[in-house]
Amino acid sequence: MEQKNPSSAGEPDIKMAPGAEEAGMAVMLAEMIKTNLKNKPERLKDFNKLKGTIWITAGDADVDMTMDFDRGSLKVSSGKVGRPMLQISTDSTTLMSLANINIKFGMPNYFDETGRMVVKKLMKKELKIKGMFTHIMALTYMTKIMSVN
Amino acid sequence: MALKYGTDEWESEYQAVLAKRTEKPPPYIYFTPEWVSLFEKMIQEDAEYKEAAKDWEGSTVLHVEAAPDYGLDVDLYIFMDLWHGDCRSVRIVPPDAGEAGDFVITGSLERWTQVGKKELDATKGMMQGKLKLKGDLPAIVRSVKAAQRLTDLSAEVGGLFPTELSDEDKEVLKASVKDMTDKLIG
Repeated sequence: MEQKNPSSAGEPDIKMAPGAEEAGMAVMLAEMIKTNLKNKPERLKDFNKLKGTIWITAGDADVDMTMDFDRGSLKVSSGKVGRPMLQISTDSTTLMSLANINIKFGMPNYFDETGRMVVKKLMKKELKIKGMFTHIMALTYMTKIMSVN
Repeated sequence: MALKYGTDEWESEYQAVLAKRTEKPPPYIYFTPEWVSLFEKMIQEDAEYKEAAKDWEGSTVLHVEAAPDYGLDVDLYIFMDLWHGDCRSVRIVPPDAGEAGDFVITGSLERWTQVGKKELDATKGMMQGKLKLKGDLPAIVRSVKAAQRLTDLSAEVGGLFPTELSDEDKEVLKASVKDMTDKLIG
């Protein structure tokens, strides 16, 4: 698959759309992905493969954001922008749990305590991921670059 | 002249201010040295925090922005020296020491009051941009339960909220800040 502007060992290309700098959630997740990729450069290859738009909302905090990945670059916007392939709706605490998913053998681990909790939230519809079956690899890449573990 | 934070002289002066201010029993006004002292004790004795923070390394600072309308004329930096579940100390420190903390969470007095009343969850507050975090975000996310417990404890300490003080209590807060500014927080 062609990579348009892949990040190498340097800083990943992560930009904030106008106005996103004022949105706490957008700033937090952008900063988290940036720091993760700096601390775990092996995950740059997942970042470089990801193409498409992902929308995330934390309903309890009444905030949402859009991440537009383009194989090696990311533009973060506040609110819903474009037509997201993945739409993640949950609460702020569960969002933090998602970021705490452990990565085992290069894949998100849904069988340990944190992973099981995430699966349980999915079953109870406290975590909704629209598009997860049609874009399973995108979800995997995103989970890996968002994971702080 | 202000004493240098981290020296024995600074600590002795801080303890002297605290001794004077704790002659009166609680409830204390939030973010005064006497309130901070109760907060410190609660963290040190909390088993839930100890367990949640067993991997935690680094100082955490609650930065309360000045709110002259409520009697708080200067920014306050509440510095928590935390290490693997232990709380070594909690002090109100000078701005330069506060800004140098590993994790600095900044908010207005109104926002911190909402946290103290459990009206605002710290994670939610950061996502809404009501509280701003400076520091290694992944580290905070890894220890999100510990961070959550700390904010819960700040609510459990109880006390008088600076946004709801009588004129008399406002003077107590002003005096508290004055006690600190001359020698301790510059």
